[in-house]
Amino acid sequence: MDLTRLPGFLAARLAKAAVVILAIVVCNFLLIHAAPGDPASVIAGQSGAADERFLAQLREQFGLDRPLHVQLWIYLKGVLTLDLGFSHRQQLPVWTLIQARLPATLLLTGTAFVFAIVTGVTLGALAARRVGRWADSLITVIALTFYATPLFWIGLMLVLVFSVWLEWLPSFGMSSVGVELHGMAVVLDVAQHLLLPALTLGLFYLAVYARLTRATMLEVADQDFVKTARAKGVPEGRVLRAHVLRNAMLPVITFAGIQAGQLVGGAILVETVFAWPGIGRLAFDALLARDYAVLLGVFFCTSVMVVAFNLVTDLLYAVVDPRVEAVG
Amino acid sequence: MAFSRRGLMAAAGAPVLMRVADALAQGIQPRRGGILQTILTPEPPILQLGVNNQGPTLVAASKMFQSLLTFSPTLEPIPVLAKSWEVSGDGREYVFRLQDNVKFHDGTPMTADDVIFSIMRFHMELAPRARAIFQMIDSATAPDPLTVRLTLKQPFQPFLLMFEVTACCIVSKRLFDGQDFRTAPTVQRPVGTGPFRFVEWQRGNFVRLERFEEYWKPGQPYLDGIIYRIVPDSQSRRLAIETGQVQMTQANDIEPFDVPGLRQRPNLTVETKGWEYFSPLSWMEINHRVAPLGDPRVRRAMSMAIDRNFITNRLWFGVGKPATNPIASTTRFHDTAVKIAGHDVRTANQLLDAAGLRPNAQGIRATLKHIPLPYGEIWTRLSEYLRQSMRQIGIQLEMESVDAGSWARRIGNWEYETSVNFVYQYGDPTLGVERTYVSSNIQRVTFTNTGGYANPRVDELFLAARSAADATERQRAFTDAQKILVEEVPQIWLTELAFPTIHDKKLNNVITTGVGVHTSFDDVFLAG
Amino acid sequence: MMDFWRRFRRNRGAVVGLCILVLVLLLSATASLLFPDSPWDMAAAPFMPPGEMGMLLGSDSLGRDVAAGIAHGARISLLVGAVSTAAALLIGVTLGAIAGYAGGIVDDALMRFTEFFQTIPSFVFAILLVAIFSPSIGSIVFAIAVVSWPPVARVVRAEVLSLRSREFVQAAEVLGKAPLAILLTDVLPNALSPIIVLSSLMVATAILTESALSFLGLGDPNLMTWGFLIGAGRSVIRIAWWMSVFPGLAIFLTVLALNLVGEGLSDALNPRLARRRA
Repeated sequence: MDLTRLPGFLAARLAKAAVVILAIVVCNFLLIHAAPGDPASVIAGQSGAADERFLAQLREQFGLDRPLHVQLWIYLKGVLTLDLGFSHRQQLPVWTLIQARLPATLLLTGTAFVFAIVTGVTLGALAARRVGRWADSLITVIALTFYATPLFWIGLMLVLVFSVWLEWLPSFGMSSVGVELHGMAVVLDVAQHLLLPALTLGLFYLAVYARLTRATMLEVADQDFVKTARAKGVPEGRVLRAHVLRNAMLPVITFAGIQAGQLVGGAILVETVFAWPGIGRLAFDALLARDYAVLLGVFFCTSVMVVAFNLVTDLLYAVVDPRVEAVG
Repeated sequence: MAFSRRGLMAAAGAPVLMRVADALAQGIQPRRGGILQTILTPEPPILQLGVNNQGPTLVAASKMFQSLLTFSPTLEPIPVLAKSWEVSGDGREYVFRLQDNVKFHDGTPMTADDVIFSIMRFHMELAPRARAIFQMIDSATAPDPLTVRLTLKQPFQPFLLMFEVTACCIVSKRLFDGQDFRTAPTVQRPVGTGPFRFVEWQRGNFVRLERFEEYWKPGQPYLDGIIYRIVPDSQSRRLAIETGQVQMTQANDIEPFDVPGLRQRPNLTVETKGWEYFSPLSWMEINHRVAPLGDPRVRRAMSMAIDRNFITNRLWFGVGKPATNPIASTTRFHDTAVKIAGHDVRTANQLLDAAGLRPNAQGIRATLKHIPLPYGEIWTRLSEYLRQSMRQIGIQLEMESVDAGSWARRIGNWEYETSVNFVYQYGDPTLGVERTYVSSNIQRVTFTNTGGYANPRVDELFLAARSAADATERQRAFTDAQKILVEEVPQIWLTELAFPTIHDKKLNNVITTGVGVHTSFDDVFLAG
Repeated sequence: MMDFWRRFRRNRGAVVGLCILVLVLLLSATASLLFPDSPWDMAAAPFMPPGEMGMLLGSDSLGRDVAAGIAHGARISLLVGAVSTAAALLIGVTLGAIAGYAGGIVDDALMRFTEFFQTIPSFVFAILLVAIFSPSIGSIVFAIAVVSWPPVARVVRAEVLSLRSREFVQAAEVLGKAPLAILLTDVLPNALSPIIVLSSLMVATAILTESALSFLGLGDPNLMTWGFLIGAGRSVIRIAWWMSVFPGLAIFLTVLALNLVGEGLSDALNPRLARRRA
């Protein structure tokens, strides 16, 4: 790709990304407000007692008594100035809540993602190279097993083995609370807590990557340009790395772009099982409590992340496959 | 002086203190030190009582806030911030003498001003439950900084029950006055008079409280701090108490089916006491506006189709007990002689035949919608059980699952046919039972008479019991009301709920009162 | 056709998968014969281990027969998987192929549309949809279909995009073949194997998603599904392992079978690969 065209390409993509995000914000806003129940009725329901005045007070305070389009307009204006609104339920700005929870989710999904893609692609490539032999079968079986087992089930089993029977690792939380730790000890402590949830989340996606890599590598391996390379006497290892793997990466990259969003979904389950204090759980609790502002905020943040990630994969695309032009 | 000396701990007097003393660990010297790790489920949105009164908020905030009184398992008042109190002969005047040297966590002293502010302004503005009662206060004055005098418009016997921390905590006037109570900065960093002060809340992770060094009881609390961990998954919570990562669980933390397993653990104690003040009663919520549910014979038949022993033994594993009438047995004025009809499927079928509800070719008499209570698995199981029970008498329940938000709205707007509900009774039927059955409280709000039951006689009886100053007179009215209600079955009562408090045996003095884990924990200690 | 079957048969895993799948289909077809009573009936004491009181796979917390639940649940779980995947494939392949082949503004518009759906975390979006339309079999299938088509579109588009610049497609274009014909006869068949691999994964994902929704309490409360069984058994896993192990196994085997069959299909449809494998 011609590097001089990069800024234009980027600008065009960014503009489009903004439109997508705006559409998502509006769509989600309407969807969420279409859901039955509002935050005032939830709070009333959970306080054990309420009267009409109490409900009316809450609704007025939350701005729920205004027409929907006015509420949407207020929200959009806020988003444009990067003000994600205020959670009346928790009496805190949404951004403060998300900011407190985002690092935990990034750490969890980031670790799981790197683990999944590195191990998955390696295993997939290995299987493709040894296709039909026992290593291929073994890898396929392992990948299938992880793929076919429900995520939370894997999590529970890991907890049973490593926390209950072996007592090696903590079963929940992100760090030890109530003990004074400094420096490396903190990192080690978090790493210990991170291991099981990241593994749980990663194993599922590992299976996806391994299978996808294997399938596409076998596909590519039979194509003409690979045959040509072989015919020219390029060593087999180099053929695999430089030609096959590189081209097989296309669907994998496509998929990885998608994963950015999906990991957050998987994170809801993993965060539930391991009491991991991330935004997946925040979103789910917010949905149940009809905490509109928080839910919209989480959607907004994850959308921005996914859009950014997709932008990166698009660029990678152009780099990996010289035939694909990065057309604006 | 116009006061009868009924107050001054004479009425509530010595036997109560003995009972509480019995509950306190004896023979073990309290030990200073140690941090109690426990669990909070689900995570509360706010820890300021009054602004939020949800279950988990009450559990954690009751360590930071206190009220004038607390209550024994038999609902006798026990002094907390009120050293003593007197009630006038006509039942209209209450005088509380406050403890000296009580300080808020910000170092300022607590005075009668704060108490009056909390009652007349703070809770009056924020809490519907408190508002309904405190509206009866004619005047609130402070003859001196450590005395509060409240005069009621009419006598109201259950009045003292309102001065429990979960109903009326004392907040600092200085921190709230002149501000929007819901958005005042202190709401994020609660400041009370309790033995533990707020330190840190990492959302989704934990809430950390620390020993308040200037607490008004010398030498207390014994614990250095309490950490409430947020653990959303029930199996992780069970693991946490099993592996000793936490030393205590309460309320809904542990699912009932996990209780038998935990009872077996030699290092753990399982207690189900400490809910007497709340006495939650569960029932199958009935909307009387939907045919054929308006017919008392149909409701009675449905009630008879249910095996309440199965529910308590098989679903709740012996935690709690079958309900016998609309007033829980641990609430005042419960009449043990008044009982609903027992499990009898054949009679139930006959009743329905008599009511003209004939089965069709498939054996179905009626099809009704049913919304399970969205508060966890056990409630789903309960609804599945109800569905199978109703099948036996030819009533088909079609389940419709909703989340907590929709549930509250649907019940509140009367948009349901049948559901499940449980309601706290707050010690006295006037406070926690009346609201479900009197026609004046048919409102489009949850926890009112949402079913739409109306019986003028029942209205009269509850009104009589409300305004009577004399306990025997009230008992008579409540007994009559109970008799009518068990015949008409306006709601199909299921069980008197209890929640297990499970703790390490090293932890002492956990459950000593009728509010259980909602006490301040100033006398709780970890034995070495 | 015979050729296809011969090639498929050569993949032993695929044959095993097909056998499992046939068994599962048989089970779901004969559920009412094998277990004539409702799977919701409380037929025994609660928490009976497998083999006791006539409960082949044990009983659950209300004394319901787990085996009956699995048999009756097979029907619903398979239905959820099949219907939602079919719907998702229809949307995904169409949009992906059009976008990849047409390019330009069409591609752009379609990809923005896809991006729109992809940018929202799919599982969270599914939860939102199910919550709004209230949990029922219809809303669950709808939600799964809505969130699972974008990957198909992306992969199809990527394949089409890379195939488009291949010699044989360019040759067809030069020869003046109509775009739709090129798409259907030259491009799509060559893009089929990743679609097949993906769709076998998708049926499986749909079954898993349904179970995850049930686990979060968003299943259809009137229907017995594997997801419901796991959701109900998950929290009593320490007391009654059989309640989550057997339905979990049912899911695992079905998902496995689907994958193996998918692979067999891929081999059979892609003779060049199959030859290498032999």
